[in-house]
Amino acid sequence: MALLELQNITAGYDNNVILKDLNFQVEKGELVSLLGSSGCGKTTTLRLIAGFSNPMDGTFIFDGKDYTQVPLNKRNFGFVFQSYALFPHMTVFDNVAFGLKMRKVSPEQIQKEVADMLETVDLKGFENRFPKEMSGGQRQRVALARALVIKPDLLLLDEPLSNLDAKLRVKMRVEIRRLQQKFGFTAIYVTHDQEECFAISDKVAIMNHGVIEQMDSPSAIYNHPKTEFIAHFVGFENFLDLKRTEEANVYLAADGSRVTVTEGKEGDALKACIRPEDIQIVPAGTDAVNPLAGEVMVSTFLGKRNQYNVRTAVGEFEVSTDQESVYKIGDQVVLSLTPNKIILL
Amino acid sequence: MLEKKTKIYWLFILPGCLFLAVFMLIPLFSLILKTFFNESGSFSLASYFSLLESTYFKQVFWRSIRLSLVSTMVCAVLGFPTAYYISKYSKNKGVLMALAVFPMFTSPVIRSFSWMVILGKKGVINNLLVSAGLIAKPVSLLYNEFSMVVGFIQLFLPLMILSLIGVMDNISEDLNLAAGNLGASPAATFRHVILPLSLPGLVTGSVLVFTGCLTAYTTPQLLGGTDTRVLATMIYQQAMSLGDWTQASVVAVVMIVVTILVSSGINAVSRKLNPTI
Repeated sequence: MALLELQNITAGYDNNVILKDLNFQVEKGELVSLLGSSGCGKTTTLRLIAGFSNPMDGTFIFDGKDYTQVPLNKRNFGFVFQSYALFPHMTVFDNVAFGLKMRKVSPEQIQKEVADMLETVDLKGFENRFPKEMSGGQRQRVALARALVIKPDLLLLDEPLSNLDAKLRVKMRVEIRRLQQKFGFTAIYVTHDQEECFAISDKVAIMNHGVIEQMDSPSAIYNHPKTEFIAHFVGFENFLDLKRTEEANVYLAADGSRVTVTEGKEGDALKACIRPEDIQIVPAGTDAVNPLAGEVMVSTFLGKRNQYNVRTAVGEFEVSTDQESVYKIGDQVVLSLTPNKIILL
Repeated sequence: MLEKKTKIYWLFILPGCLFLAVFMLIPLFSLILKTFFNESGSFSLASYFSLLESTYFKQVFWRSIRLSLVSTMVCAVLGFPTAYYISKYSKNKGVLMALAVFPMFTSPVIRSFSWMVILGKKGVINNLLVSAGLIAKPVSLLYNEFSMVVGFIQLFLPLMILSLIGVMDNISEDLNLAAGNLGASPAATFRHVILPLSLPGLVTGSVLVFTGCLTAYTTPQLLGGTDTRVLATMIYQQAMSLGDWTQASVVAVVMIVVTILVSSGINAVSRKLNPTI
């Protein structure tokens, strides 16, 4: 049985429903990311699990118990805020010790556990600093230490790295993953950064308009998106409608061109998608697999690669190539869609 | 180049500084200076000794301190929950803020007169108590320390509420949630997070209320009696009724010293509770 289970959760405020009939499960020891653009309901979901707000409808089961009405201070969950939410009037030591003090742990024990935790997050010697005397990355680690020192049953992270610069972000996400694997805690990680989320998670749940569109391993989501929204999200820029033919794996595009696809899928009318880098571009008249004739509309130099927007009979395609030959606007070309890179939705 | 530019900005505060120097600092120091010399013009602390030995002054002095402290504490106790509610929970913040500040739109004289109507022998409260049969004869609620404290509280509570709201608005809701998430009950969250972080506002508010009460003249003059004189009314009495300007100046100096001492005292206590202030 799953450690955490949201069953038919509806949430929001007043007449504004943010989550609608949401179902979500997390297994023990997993790091699951909630990924989505702002306003998709990922933070609402996280805050609901933490007990910061209550659902309008639905049940939250944790470790086999109904947690829907358990007040936030009775749930043993760690929470890392986007703003870190460190207590500005307390030293680093007191910030980290706060949860233990609330749990009436003896002073000697607190001394030891806080020291150990600060060592783990590499902040030994910072005990008497105040948060305002520290850098963003250091504050981030204090926030992490404060949430971990209580040995939470579940760690919740709300865009914890979004206030850090790019370099530090990469370093910290490795750090979070290291701690998660060291302690084996279950964690839910909210982010809008795809790369960050794919790098850190066991599973990714992509949210859109208050529902989870797909929950899978990062590679499954990257290579086999299930919906058009997710395909868009993970970099599929080109979509075309296909009709099944009598022949196996051969489909017809809207203009009648034959398209061979290696992956099979049920249904007669399908939507297919392909990434810009999986399309080859060759001069008009060249023989090619899955050819689509077109005209270059926009040519963009991207350093290592060139990007072209090509108009064809079945719509505009975005192509990214590292070929040396350069096509100009108005050139007649042929696009070749790599068969095993075409994903059917 | 840059140095010249920054120098020019000093000109902006010059008018204010000049005004204060001419109309406040010079009169104040000439007043203070005079108290250290006797009639023959030589240095002497005689006027201080004679004042500090007078039982009447001691009585007035301690009454002033006591009433100001009591009023400050009542304002803190009443103002804190009010400010917290307005800052964190109210949906009509603007309306409630306006209501809180509303008493400040009328002069202390008008307000004192309305308290006379309310607290007088034939006032609203006495009438109610008598007709309810709780008391046989109207009790005297006016011209005593009680009516003065009531007047002070109404006069200065808005200052306390405004100072607190200003600070509480800057306490992030995330801190509240973080404390709860770490296992703190609402009471513990208040004790360990909300209260210490509100202290700067409480300090400002307390200093404003205390100094306001200590130096208020109209309210004690109108709501106090002849046997409940405070420092401010005593200065007036010394200067205007008795014509003793030196004695009045000495009382004024004492008042300034007390104000400074109490302000720094409150600051010191709050710095202990929240070292980051």
